[in-house]
Amino acid sequence: MKKIASRKLSILGRLLASKGSALALIFLVGITLAAIFADFLPLNPVGQKLANALKGPSATNWFGTDELGRDILSRVIFGARTSLVTAGGAVMIAALVGVPIGLVAGFFGGWRDAALMRFVDVLLALPAILFAMAMIAVLGRSQAAALIAVGLTGIPSFARITRAQVLTLRKRDFVTAVEAFGGTATYNMFRTILPNSWSPIFVQVVVLCSVAILLEAALSFLGVGVPPPTPSWGEMLRTGKSYLHEAPYYAVLPGIVLTLTILSFDVLGRALSGLLEGHRDPIIAPKGEGATP
Amino acid sequence: MKTQFLRTLRRLGFLFLAATAPVVVGSAGWIAPLHAEEQALKGGTLRVALLGDMTNFDPQQFSTVNFHLIKNLYDSLIEYTDEGEAVPSLATAWAIAPDNQSVTVTLRDDVTFHSGAKLTSADVAATLAKAADPERGKNVYATMSIVKDWTTPDEKTVTINFKSPAPQRQITDLLQFLIPIEAAGIATVETVPAGTGAYLLDSRAVGQGLTLKANPNYWRKGQPIAEKIEFTIFSEDASASAALESDAVDIVYGGTSRSAVRLQDAGYQVLRGPGPLVQIFRINSTRPPFTNAKFRQAFNYLMDREGMLRVGYAGLGEVVALPWAPASPAFDAAYTDEFAYNLDKAKKLLAESGLTPAEQSNWKMLVWGSDEPTVVISQILQSALAEAGINIELDVRQGAEYTEALLAGNFDATFGAVGNVQKFPSRVATNSIYRVVKNPVLKDPHPHPDYVAAIERVNTTSGSDADVKAAYDNLNRVLVTDAFAIPTNSYDTGLIVASPKLGGLALDIDNLFVARTVGFQ
Repeated sequence: MKKIASRKLSILGRLLASKGSALALIFLVGITLAAIFADFLPLNPVGQKLANALKGPSATNWFGTDELGRDILSRVIFGARTSLVTAGGAVMIAALVGVPIGLVAGFFGGWRDAALMRFVDVLLALPAILFAMAMIAVLGRSQAAALIAVGLTGIPSFARITRAQVLTLRKRDFVTAVEAFGGTATYNMFRTILPNSWSPIFVQVVVLCSVAILLEAALSFLGVGVPPPTPSWGEMLRTGKSYLHEAPYYAVLPGIVLTLTILSFDVLGRALSGLLEGHRDPIIAPKGEGATP
Repeated sequence: MKTQFLRTLRRLGFLFLAATAPVVVGSAGWIAPLHAEEQALKGGTLRVALLGDMTNFDPQQFSTVNFHLIKNLYDSLIEYTDEGEAVPSLATAWAIAPDNQSVTVTLRDDVTFHSGAKLTSADVAATLAKAADPERGKNVYATMSIVKDWTTPDEKTVTINFKSPAPQRQITDLLQFLIPIEAAGIATVETVPAGTGAYLLDSRAVGQGLTLKANPNYWRKGQPIAEKIEFTIFSEDASASAALESDAVDIVYGGTSRSAVRLQDAGYQVLRGPGPLVQIFRINSTRPPFTNAKFRQAFNYLMDREGMLRVGYAGLGEVVALPWAPASPAFDAAYTDEFAYNLDKAKKLLAESGLTPAEQSNWKMLVWGSDEPTVVISQILQSALAEAGINIELDVRQGAEYTEALLAGNFDATFGAVGNVQKFPSRVATNSIYRVVKNPVLKDPHPHPDYVAAIERVNTTSGSDADVKAAYDNLNRVLVTDAFAIPTNSYDTGLIVASPKLGGLALDIDNLFVARTVGFQ
């Protein structure tokens, strides 16, 4: 346990040692904290002041105001909440469904593998944005619907990565050993193989976060995301593009924040991937059995 | 001393001349093109940007998606000037019987259809038969409700008989709305135009555009000026504006108010027609909490009309509390003041409604997500409602999803527009919002019988001016009392933004694009 904690600290240390990943991490932590504690900040994302519409950045409104006189900075920060909640929820759905699929398919192989992977292929064949739009058409327009729609589009990537990882671990000696000692399939999958597959899955979580944020923004941009007046980055881009002549900051500033967030997740994902691949996981034994080198 | 004085005077004179010379030269340059424009607009190919494709060539469809075509492929029996005066077009004369029970229309004898066939009373009769058919009459069908039957005494005369005495303005409205279609082409008019207009269909690329060419046999001498019109469909208002600014098109027709204001500031011509639409907050008064009259009446005071006009339509339009344009005979500016945004009065009515806060908030506002101004003004109302203690959600739907809910009456309240607000007041009842029978949302029997009676009174009052005004006043009061539709502002449909090199720009009374007078300076 101590070893794992110190390894995590070592990864964090090495992430912070790289300027790019350190900046990405700081940005993401900052925006996440702002989104979590937005209610405690002096911000009102829905308060309208029509007489104050489309005013440029100022000391009062750092990012300017929108067509209804609402503070754009407030909407960007509350929009972060929308994006992060949607992304977090979507990744959770994708992981909770995708990882077991990959685990079962890779572990058992045969007809189970074929059936599950064809299901995944079907999901993969559908363009994510179209699939998400169809889901929203069925479920109705809400944050929950966007979350589920984005989550379902992420299932294939988790399933495939987990399956690939399981296939490499399935014939390893420590798995065979657990089987020889009478370990059940469920025990082996969830207690032996899964703990040793976390690295690529974790990288996929980070990567999928950026994809989910982008997809949520795209859905809002197309007018099928979170309904107004709930702030959303995609919706701000959608409305802001109509005011590019009069108020370029309206679309540009939320666009920059969205770009930086996606970029940060990508940088972080890439850095994590490099770090975790460079240092292969030590085999983690089931609880109480100690770690094998 | 005297010489010094004269020298100073002379210097001042020179200075004055020097100072005024640019103005004089400029004035000459300003006046000259006006005369030149009147005298010699040149032909050429007119390139027009649109924001949507047309649906069909039937002039009785009469919706904004066809507005750029109808008055170029067809002509009406009569036309209105911007001031609402009826003037001849295909009809040279129209004689209303002394008892207002019929009108006799005399047709021009030098008009041919695009096919080469002459316009006769048989074509007008066939057009009337189509208009009176509930299956084929489309948007003109409701206007035909006053018509009993018609006769064609000879090739150039049509007599239309009415069910009861019809007011003069209602009769001329009908004639202005009647656009003769060639009898032989009526069956296929949706796909093949069959009119007498200044332009003929040359080609069409679905979803991309359409080209018209000048009608060589057009009956109006010296028109059309431009030999060709190329309509190009742009998916975005911003793209169409950019095309105009880069000289890729000469006109943007039907763009947004905001772009028009910006381009006007940049030196482009903006033409606003006399036929605006009025934005209406449409209430489904058959559903709670809107079955409560006091609750509905509160909405008269909950509309920040100034803000809605400014934010939604860049200030192009008028704030209105009644569904009339200023040119309408029923227009009454006093109502705009009486029903100005007033949260206190709204709260008082809400309290008088006897509804609990939960009941007052138990509805959703359907919003047409594809229309930016509607999304914005819906949010303004949502905010005003929140201030009054009513917290509702917006049910934003796109395209067909919205239309489906609208046509099925499957909504609590939504914003929508009405046209014909500059014509005879009961014409507004041809719109589904104000329809007195077969109302798709309010159903039959109409839940507001006093409104039905008020429309009937307007339709049947053709006596003295005082009687007519009393009928209009009664209708206006009923509209704000029944409050099943709350007008907010007028706005321009069919806005024209044009290059400064064009002259002769025109819109008809309904803001339809009229290209025959447009040419290059």
